[in-house]
Amino acid sequence: MNYLLHILIMITIYFILSLSLNLLVGYTGLLSLCHAAFYGIGAYTSTLLIMKLGLSFPLALIAGIGVSMILSLLVAYPSLRLKGDYFVLTSLAFQIIVFSILYNWVSLTRGPYGIPGIPHPRLFGLEFGSLPSFLALSSVLAFLVFFILYRLSSSPFGRVLKAIREDEIAASALGKKIPSFKIWAFVIASGIAAISGSLYAGYVTYIDPTSFTLDESIFIMAILLVGGSGNLKGPIVGTLFMVILPEALRFLGIPDTVAPNVRQMIYGLLLILLMYFRPQGIAGEYKFE
Amino acid sequence: MVLQLLANGIVTGCVYALVALGLGLIYNTTRIFHIAHGIVYTFSAYMFYTFVRSLGLNVLPSFLLGVISAVVLGIMIEAFLYWPFFKKRASLMIVFISSLGVYIFLVNLIAMLYGNETKVLSPGVERTFHIGSMILTRIQILEILAFVLLFPLFVFVLKTTKLGKLIRALSDNPTLLTVLGADVRKLRIWIFGLGSFLAGVASCLTALDVGLDPHVGMEAFLMAAVSMIVGGIGNFEGAALGALILGIVQNMLIWKISARWTEALAFLILVLFLLFRPEGLMGRRRRLEEV
Repeated sequence: MNYLLHILIMITIYFILSLSLNLLVGYTGLLSLCHAAFYGIGAYTSTLLIMKLGLSFPLALIAGIGVSMILSLLVAYPSLRLKGDYFVLTSLAFQIIVFSILYNWVSLTRGPYGIPGIPHPRLFGLEFGSLPSFLALSSVLAFLVFFILYRLSSSPFGRVLKAIREDEIAASALGKKIPSFKIWAFVIASGIAAISGSLYAGYVTYIDPTSFTLDESIFIMAILLVGGSGNLKGPIVGTLFMVILPEALRFLGIPDTVAPNVRQMIYGLLLILLMYFRPQGIAGEYKFE
Repeated sequence: MVLQLLANGIVTGCVYALVALGLGLIYNTTRIFHIAHGIVYTFSAYMFYTFVRSLGLNVLPSFLLGVISAVVLGIMIEAFLYWPFFKKRASLMIVFISSLGVYIFLVNLIAMLYGNETKVLSPGVERTFHIGSMILTRIQILEILAFVLLFPLFVFVLKTTKLGKLIRALSDNPTLLTVLGADVRKLRIWIFGLGSFLAGVASCLTALDVGLDPHVGMEAFLMAAVSMIVGGIGNFEGAALGALILGIVQNMLIWKISARWTEALAFLILVLFLLFRPEGLMGRRRRLEEV
């Protein structure tokens, strides 16, 4: 039972990550490889504020979102004037720089030792320590994020983003300021990723930089590529598939020592096959054209 | 001390340069953001390791076989992956993602078969050479030599041979080249072969020097990509200049700041270039939106 609850909690956390990245990949056509950096920034900001300054969980969560949004401008400003490969490379650069800071700034983040003993989130005097209560909290947040993104994607803002994805020049000819739309999409997506970070830290009660590596960014990207992007169905299908896949492999009796490798080999292979036969993923809309 | 760091920087830069020249050759002609170049690099080092350790061959033949493995893998990726996509007129983004797929697949295969830990190839203490106040090992000198020999050869092939002319034509105007009846498929195979050859040489030399682990390729790819942009996209030789500068700056700064920051530093350089000089050092001056 606990095992099932754990998987459900991880699914809600990855829902938030993939739904927010979808705003960039699926709606704006930006292949960003630094989502784990914002996930990490959210986790570290809220954890440090809770543990060093004694802030309450909701305030720390909001601060994490804020810091993540501000830092996202550092990537958004130089890179969003660039297209395709240059944007991918800059986002990669940001991912590596953030990881270096988390790993090497030992006096603040304790570097490779990580931060143990993070308290469970507390809200209105309730502590979300047990698995069912935590699942309730994370589900509520995931639903909230889903709702916000649902409204956003059907709003004029969302439609402009789709227009940029389909034809940037046409959209700008209609008088839309392309860079500022892209920057907003990036800032919003980064802020939402930080929510996952705070949740993750409060759930596992221990964080270290290895949870927020380039591999993690690639994993979040793979969720979208496998499930599909450009609508809200894709990220949901992708998250379910990618989070449940390793558990399914466990039941197939693949030894634990090679399981992570086998899992990644499967999704590496899936990426190649999907890109050839079905670039929009299992349930997505955007075909990367 | 400064001279020693400079020497180390030149060695690092020469290795980066070989990978970057190959990556630049591929990027400038096919426009594929060839992240699988990283796995070609890793694969080559592991094949070298296998030939030496498991099959007990001598270092020199193993080295050659390691480089040949790189060429074979590079050509296979082009022939069985990129070419079908090219035929389908798939977008470059799709090709990039499939390239990432190849990288993920093979890096995990290698990690599964060989383990994640660092492996060492060189048998013991290397012979060192003193040049003034600088000390270089024999392999470091070989690394410099590889660049000093291969770079002029690369430029020579590019500037004077028929193949070089075709490569430059493909980079200028691929459509026109097809119209003129050139065999683009064969040409692309040559390009991937050459690029992977350079990566293989760099990889096997580095494996001898500092050892290997499954993630060496990603780092090599990232540094090569940064070098390529610092040097200037569209310019085949620029990547070498970018790589040398990157290697030297990284090593000189070890003097002032900790070595743990070198990777972050490389990317800081990248971001600064993208902000202030996106066309790179030797690239044609273009507007930012064009690049």
